[in-house]
Amino acid sequence: MVQYNFKKITVVPPGKDFIDIILSRTQRQTPTVVHKGYAISRIRQFYMRKVRYSQQNFYEKLSTIIDEFPRLDDIHPFYGDLLHVLYNKDHYKLALGQINTARNIIAKISKDYLRLLKYGDSLYRCKCLKVAALGRMCTVVKRISPSLAYLEQIRQHMARLPSIDPNTRTVLICGYPNVGKSSFMNKVTRADVDVQPYAFTTKSLFVGHTDYKYLRYQVIDTPGILDRPFEDRNIIEMCSITALAHLRAAVLFFLDISGSCGYSIAQQAALFHSIKSLFMNKPLVIVCNKTDLQPLEGLSEDDMKLVMDMKAEAMKTITQAGDPNEEGVLLTMSTLTDDGVMAVKNAACERLLEQRVDVKMKSKKMVDCLNRFHVAVPKPRDNKERPICIPPAVLEARANAAAKEKKKLEKDFEQENGGAGVYSTSLKKHYILANDEWKEDILPEILDGHNVADFLDPDILERCEELEREEGLRLEEQAAQDAFEIDGHELTEEQKEILSQIRKKKALLIQEHRMKKRTAESRPIVPRKFDKDRKFTTKRMGRQLSSMGVDPSAAIARSKSRGRKRERSLSRAAADGDDMEVDGQQSNKKLRLRSRSRSKSRAPEEVIPGEGFKDSEQKKKAIKKAKDATRNRNKEARRGEADRVIPTLKPKHLFSGKRTLGKTSRR
Amino acid sequence: MRLEKCWFCSSTIYPGHGIQFVRNDAKIFRFCRSKCHKNFKMKRNPRKVKWTKAYRRLHGKDMTQDSTFEFERKRNRPERYDRNVTEQTLKAIPIITKARHERLKKHISDRQKPGKKKELERDNKELEQDINMLPKKLISNEASAEKTKVKVKVKVVQQQTEDRMEE
Repeated sequence: MVQYNFKKITVVPPGKDFIDIILSRTQRQTPTVVHKGYAISRIRQFYMRKVRYSQQNFYEKLSTIIDEFPRLDDIHPFYGDLLHVLYNKDHYKLALGQINTARNIIAKISKDYLRLLKYGDSLYRCKCLKVAALGRMCTVVKRISPSLAYLEQIRQHMARLPSIDPNTRTVLICGYPNVGKSSFMNKVTRADVDVQPYAFTTKSLFVGHTDYKYLRYQVIDTPGILDRPFEDRNIIEMCSITALAHLRAAVLFFLDISGSCGYSIAQQAALFHSIKSLFMNKPLVIVCNKTDLQPLEGLSEDDMKLVMDMKAEAMKTITQAGDPNEEGVLLTMSTLTDDGVMAVKNAACERLLEQRVDVKMKSKKMVDCLNRFHVAVPKPRDNKERPICIPPAVLEARANAAAKEKKKLEKDFEQENGGAGVYSTSLKKHYILANDEWKEDILPEILDGHNVADFLDPDILERCEELEREEGLRLEEQAAQDAFEIDGHELTEEQKEILSQIRKKKALLIQEHRMKKRTAESRPIVPRKFDKDRKFTTKRMGRQLSSMGVDPSAAIARSKSRGRKRERSLSRAAADGDDMEVDGQQSNKKLRLRSRSRSKSRAPEEVIPGEGFKDSEQKKKAIKKAKDATRNRNKEARRGEADRVIPTLKPKHLFSGKRTLGKTSRR
Repeated sequence: MRLEKCWFCSSTIYPGHGIQFVRNDAKIFRFCRSKCHKNFKMKRNPRKVKWTKAYRRLHGKDMTQDSTFEFERKRNRPERYDRNVTEQTLKAIPIITKARHERLKKHISDRQKPGKKKELERDNKELEQDINMLPKKLISNEASAEKTKVKVKVKVVQQQTEDRMEE
């Protein structure tokens, strides 16, 4: 079964784009780097590959176009004619033919140039050949660009054609313009065809689908046809004619009996008779539309005669001579009031089905199948009547069920007790409890900061009694214990008073001591515990020392001094020496100089033999002069050149503020 | 409607109070107030925070094991209502709570006993040793009786020792 779907045809690019696509693909998909220094065979191959590749691409692209566009001779004659009507068969064939020729020419060009490339003797020569080959191919394509543009247009149009299956069950609607074909279509199918009150609203074929007896029918809405010679008909009308001519369908010929479409019944009858050859061998139904404006009975006698003529013609299409089914030939309806629409549809479908079945029955295949069918029918044994038997138990049960009173629902309660909003159902009434009186009990959930539910226990009473017993025992025990421990009594009020005073006093003493300690500036002081009566004075010490025969003056002086410094001066050393050797104060300078160790320091002005000073006075002067000479001049610590300077790295006036004009650096 | 316990401090949460946090493993954390919630968010361990019930239980401050605790336990199975049982329960609750409070008091006083004893000893010693810090007239006025008692005691002791010496 051929599927007629023209939506999947690939896009046909216009000539320029076509060339761009191929060339850029060649550039991308083939190697791009070649050098003079390569072996000539490699260079040749490089360029041959390019030529061959672009030729293959051209070939593929053009082949897809040729393959995908339908060939008018191969497809169903309905489509063949439709495409011919719409696009002109000659033009179409010519375009495809041109593409085919172009494809062959390109193949030939590439063959020639590949042969030439085989003999290319330098990179330059090869390159030139390649350029020439591609150039010629492109020229060929450029020449067929009008054909490509035409095919692209056709492709777009074909994609929008309705997908009509010519072999399936089809109902075809035809008639003069503006007789109500499209509105019938809208009623019967889910298609949404534009309906307007002017002629030729429908300009092409439309397809909808409808169901009848579980079968799917395709309904085709055609543009209106005018009664004029075949050659004068325009493309829109020709679409209808094509469909009428080639589809094996049930035809509904629409007749506007009110004449509101602008054509009289006579004109419509004339059209009917002029195209009646197209209705041959098809179930034909004449539908009188717009009965809401003009009922069929109210027609004038002339018109009625015309209608009857048409009916007689239509009767001829009924194939079965033995069963002239008159009802399905002439029908009336009104698409406005939906009157008789379904009857028309059903009649058309029914007749189509009959006709198709007839055709199938007559076909050869059917004969092969028929002998395999057998319908079994039980033969009657005797003349005894055998009615349906229902057991009496079942009947009884049914009767009981019917008689049984209906369960009272919550809804009924509501009705009885004041209706919605007044009655509120009690959720508690379906509780399953040991006693029905308990249902409405109100009980606390929380008691003294505890969940009542946590305490619930069937044998709580016994446990509670046990607890009380326990508690009693405990209290007795405790009483006994208290009696035993009664001697560890507390302090009396008076005692407490005294104790607090004592503590106050203690605190005061401690505070005082701390104050004193602070004012002593952490100097060592003789702890008072050793000298409660302040007897250990320096005088007493002096007395004691002198009584022991020691001169106390130095010790006294030391105790009065603030303590020893860490210096190590000559005078101290001398004094120490003096202390040791109490008697005989020798001061022989020269002697001491010689004996003095090197590390001992001396006064700077002391004259050392060999330095060249007359006396210490002179040396003192010299030292002073030297000091003056080397004195640091900047005594007042003013800023000078030699000072280290860190300049303002980001001067604020250059980096902040508004900038109305120019750049920040220019301001 | 039921009273819940705070996850952090174990205090009772009445309906409409506090906040609760449901972790993505469906565990529910209830907090009695923002203080507890904040502490939880700071990832504090309630066992290490002094003011929580958990700390007090862990460190023996509160009673942990008692028969009164066994009366109150959460049941995860609904019980069918029975008026008699409920009545008995409602009567029993105050008795149980009272017993528990008594025991708690006892527990705390027992816990504090050693400290109290020590304190008393210290007070007595101080009173005895530092009585001389106060001016004498004050003591004679107010605590003469006390002092005389002490003096009497001393005398008795001395007598006894003298007796022994004689023997």
